[in-house]
Amino acid sequence: MRLRLVSAVAPVMWIAWLLAVVAIPEHAVAQVDDHQYSTAAIQAGSRLYAAQCALCHGQNGNSVAGVDLARQQFRRAASDDDIRNTITTGVADAGMPAFRGQPAELDALVAFIRSGFDMNATPFTVGDATRGKAVYDGPGACATCHRVAGDGARTGPNLSDVGALRQPAAIQRSLLEPSRGMMPINRPVRIVTRDGRTIRGRRVNEDTATVQLMDDAERLVSLSKSDILEFELGTVSGMPSFSGKLTDQELANLLAYLLSLRGQ
Amino acid sequence: MRISLQYLLPLLTVVGLTAPVAAQAQVTPERIERAAAEPQNWLTYNGGYDSKRYSTLDQITPGNVKDLEQKWVLQDQVFGAWESNPLVVDGIMYVTERPNDVIALDAKTGRVFWIYRYTPSPDARVCCGANNRGVAMLGDTLFMGTLDAHLIAIDAKDGRPLWNVEVADAALAYSITMAPLVVKDKVIIGVGGGEFGIRGFIAAYDATTGQEAWRFNTIPGPGEPGHETWSGDDWMYGGASVWITGSFDPSLNLTYWGIGNPGPDWNPDQRPGDNLYSDSVVALDADTGELKWHFQFTPNDGYDYDAVQIPVLADMEWQGRPAKVMMWANRNGYFYVLDRVTGQFLLGEPFVKVNWASGLDPNGRPIQTPQPPGMPTWPGNQGGTNWYPPSFSPRTGLFYFSVWENYATIYRKEEQEYVPGRNFLGGGFTVLTPAPGAPTIGIGRRGPINNWTSEVGNGATVALDPHTGQRVWTFPQFDVTDAGMLTTASDLLFTGGREGYFYALDARTGEELWKANLGGSIVMAPITYRIDGQQYVSVISGHTLVTFALRN
Repeated sequence: MRLRLVSAVAPVMWIAWLLAVVAIPEHAVAQVDDHQYSTAAIQAGSRLYAAQCALCHGQNGNSVAGVDLARQQFRRAASDDDIRNTITTGVADAGMPAFRGQPAELDALVAFIRSGFDMNATPFTVGDATRGKAVYDGPGACATCHRVAGDGARTGPNLSDVGALRQPAAIQRSLLEPSRGMMPINRPVRIVTRDGRTIRGRRVNEDTATVQLMDDAERLVSLSKSDILEFELGTVSGMPSFSGKLTDQELANLLAYLLSLRGQ
Repeated sequence: MRISLQYLLPLLTVVGLTAPVAAQAQVTPERIERAAAEPQNWLTYNGGYDSKRYSTLDQITPGNVKDLEQKWVLQDQVFGAWESNPLVVDGIMYVTERPNDVIALDAKTGRVFWIYRYTPSPDARVCCGANNRGVAMLGDTLFMGTLDAHLIAIDAKDGRPLWNVEVADAALAYSITMAPLVVKDKVIIGVGGGEFGIRGFIAAYDATTGQEAWRFNTIPGPGEPGHETWSGDDWMYGGASVWITGSFDPSLNLTYWGIGNPGPDWNPDQRPGDNLYSDSVVALDADTGELKWHFQFTPNDGYDYDAVQIPVLADMEWQGRPAKVMMWANRNGYFYVLDRVTGQFLLGEPFVKVNWASGLDPNGRPIQTPQPPGMPTWPGNQGGTNWYPPSFSPRTGLFYFSVWENYATIYRKEEQEYVPGRNFLGGGFTVLTPAPGAPTIGIGRRGPINNWTSEVGNGATVALDPHTGQRVWTFPQFDVTDAGMLTTASDLLFTGGREGYFYALDARTGEELWKANLGGSIVMAPITYRIDGQQYVSVISGHTLVTFALRN
């Protein structure tokens, strides 16, 4: 997919746009302000990660409490150099050993982490965030279900930090194929209680004996399963697909806006 | 100041402080051998040499279990999952916490006598959690293995170290997470490090001096039987770790040990052969360490199906004849019954979905059916079950354990060169998920919100009839469970799970009789003991050790 040139694009966005269209791996796009990472490095990092890190950090990088490598949540690292330092010195208190790797190995690990572990991503293009806000508010009508920084509905997941939590390709997937991109915890539920109430909403947590949800009227509801007569878990997202409904330009801009949402 | 005994004794009795003082005695080998005769204590990791984790205490019953109340709580002060199994000896509890602390406390009040802190070398590396699962005791001495692969003897009265020996080299990523097993005058321990290319072994040490008495290499060296199941130098760093406490049959003088996976984990092509004694149970002479028999569950394993489960020993009728059997729910998804005198295979049945094998041959050897690249393998990497302690109740005749259902893994194999002290995995894996990038189950639970959901697998507590290998009942859980089991003579089954519920189930039917939300993952088995006529049940959930008893 190629974007048409738009004269109003700010210089910095030109760089992002160029990176996006000349077949540079999409993982690198988010890295224009830091380093660039080659596909080879990301793939080498993936192998190193599987061999050296995955046992503790998990296949998705989120098995250590308070750390989510794919989503760039660290305890003590911010820059690439911080990540390298943590890898090479270890974290004795937390039981993380020092990894005495070659510089190229460290580059590869950093590249893989910075790529968001996303090796097989849905193709996407990042457009203009300011214009994307207009798509969000206008044709997207996203605030009908989603909330950003205190504005909008709460029936869908809050998007205030979606740019920090999810990778560009994953957001793109949700925009085009919402059901396929839906995280299992967010599945819509329909519950009929023993006292005859019907409750619809979005699941926010569940265990053996209870379920918690945000109902259609934006109330937090917690139910004991022993009080539930019918429990129906939907696999089809209530979110419409924007495939064919938004232009490529609008999609790219919307994605840019969503990526700019990084919470506090 | 002198206080007349006349006043002091009644006072102490009223306050209830006498019990731990009055009953204290040395823990002799005879006492451990007859642990079942003193159910007020929990003398070994598995509650007794036969590892049934069954107690004859029966004060807490299906009828009154709803009256359980929290008596005391011990807060863990360190970071990370708490997988320790406490001992209780004559009113005093000994429990470990990360990395290698030992705490002695009053088992009635939770008040602490002493803490021994050992700081393992920074070289220590542990693949899957810097845990310690508990101590063993003999006489007045406690024994603990450490993350840097030392074995330390500690005075049980004051927590001072008596001796400290290096079991193996931590720089090569040997480690110890298991509780030792004391047999007669020896302390027996195994080593972890199967993900780092170690060569595993089990070693016995003189309990008084710390001197090594015998050593059994879990990978046979050149000239030893079984060496031919390896090719080239593969045996030198082929894993076969031992990280769970074994069992002992005094009548046969045999100790039984489950052996871990071969390395590199996910590339069996790189180490052709059966890779003995990885994924096996070995029967070793308690005095000499000599191998009497072995049985391999998963030859040339490519799935990390460690046989690090606890051998559960029972005497029962088998096809009309009295038999000494061993029951074993394996990580590979099969439940086995073996003759523990000879190692003969008696029964093997899958207890979860299995597609890495199409069945077992008459000798119990799996007929392996490796899946094509990119296709899922059931059960997944953490197995149909794992190291979590099971239980066998002689009253119900049922075998209880935690299973992971509907959980699959996609493996990727890769040639890998051995580098000392580094991970030696030979590839990687992904877990089957309902949406790309969706959260998956990890080795441990990370928080109070289950955002991976049962779509990637769920846990269950299962009761199995060992004579058929079939389930008698299933108690499903939404999240997976790493909890162990405890059964009692009143037909109660205590267990838990990652969600933090602590359950009392009817051991006959699986019916939930009582539960408490303790808020943190339960990743070990509960234990039970008695002081001053009161039965207690202790369980660790998250960072708290909670002790329950009936409301007085």
